[in-house]
Amino acid sequence: MHSRFPRWALALVLLAATALVQAAPPTLFAAASLKPALDALAKAGALGQPAPRLVYAGSSQLARQIEQGAPADLFISADQQWMDYLAARQRLAPGQRRNLLGNTLVLVAPRDASLMVDLTRPASLLAALGQGRLAIALPDSVPAGIYAKQALSALHLWSDVAAQLAPSRNVRAALALVVKSECPLGVVYGSDAVSEPRVRVVARFPPSSHQAIVYPLAIVAGHDNPASRALVEALAGKRAAAVFRHWGFDVMSTPP
Amino acid sequence: MTDWLAPAEWQALALSLKVALVATLAALPPGIALAWWLARRRFVGKPLLETALMLPMILPPVVTGYLLLQWFGNASPVGRLLTALGTPLAFRWSGAALAALVMGLPLLVVTLRTAFEQVDQRLEQAAATLGASPWRVFIGVSLPLARRGLIAGAALTFARAFGEFGATITFVSAIPGQSRTLPVAIYELINQPDGEAGALRLVWVSLAVGLLATLGASLLLARGARARSEPAA
Repeated sequence: MHSRFPRWALALVLLAATALVQAAPPTLFAAASLKPALDALAKAGALGQPAPRLVYAGSSQLARQIEQGAPADLFISADQQWMDYLAARQRLAPGQRRNLLGNTLVLVAPRDASLMVDLTRPASLLAALGQGRLAIALPDSVPAGIYAKQALSALHLWSDVAAQLAPSRNVRAALALVVKSECPLGVVYGSDAVSEPRVRVVARFPPSSHQAIVYPLAIVAGHDNPASRALVEALAGKRAAAVFRHWGFDVMSTPP
Repeated sequence: MTDWLAPAEWQALALSLKVALVATLAALPPGIALAWWLARRRFVGKPLLETALMLPMILPPVVTGYLLLQWFGNASPVGRLLTALGTPLAFRWSGAALAALVMGLPLLVVTLRTAFEQVDQRLEQAAATLGASPWRVFIGVSLPLARRGLIAGAALTFARAFGEFGATITFVSAIPGQSRTLPVAIYELINQPDGEAGALRLVWVSLAVGLLATLGASLLLARGARARSEPAA
């Protein structure tokens, strides 16, 4: 076999293969709440050419897929616990994790509803809810729901509304229930309220009422290459920061 | 025994059984009528009806759930009427049963229709010439002869209803005791970093229910077969 297939040819094939692999754009697995901002960035060409492949889903699903060897180069999680989960399983490239974005928690109502809510008074929230239900993400498993439960508990509202919740599979589904007026109120991220003009913010949860909402970014183990690092730089850059702010996110690290 | 599952898990299991049972029983009358109609009648728009019936099997369940929310949600005209009548469906276990029924009905109709088509029509004609009314013929001849299809179809519908997830959580959320069914509870556990063990436990429970339903259907089918062979023996 060695005589029929010379080494130089093998080297050439390997070189070509490497070139092909490097030409393929990196794949970014990102929490679903980042979709409006990342789509806008990719469309504007701010994430490099060719644009990275963007895969959106719940952070938990993405983390479990990466654990099982999904072809992701980078991962942005909507919370620290799923990034910690991957770190504990040695699935992250060492020293390549940083906190990229922050978010806020807000109470929204359908756009044409006229109510306002004072979160310091339980009666105010209950009166606004009436017989309706409060749309939130699943409060024990989905990050947005976990934050919502923390905030409502800290404000001594949880026990009052616990029987009137409509827990949804993710925060966008909770938002949709408010958009469709199926629920008079919902707890979603500040960025969700920015990207959805059919809802109105009626109250903001104080940041002290819940754990800091942080979106960590990391390179997946085995994918720490120049293309991945370039994408990290683009995501943490000035141009991206402006777009993320426009879509309602806080930018954690000031770009150089 | 009761320690084996957490109270919330028992609640989810009991709710799933209730939802699946109600959905299956409620699916029988329309399912039998549709299967009979499709097996024995020719009418304008029959292919259209067949396609519409199969839609819940073709569409992503999330879409079916979204359409149910659109049509039966509290903000829809039908939903407002149901609320006025005191039986709203959205965010209730009855809504979960409706979602399960819609997802399970195609399985019942397909299975039962095939069974009706295999019934020897000469037997029906013989009963009719002996003076039996069409209803009598249906109840006394056609349905008993198609009972294997009925049992198999009902078992499939129950299994589908018991495992329904996408349409359910989209239409009626995940409210404990109302719409947090076993599949929804499994989904929640999978979305927790330390939830695998609990999810696996509930998967075993689901498997056991599925096996029992299949086994029950097989026993009924076997008894039916024996009853038929006995007069000849």
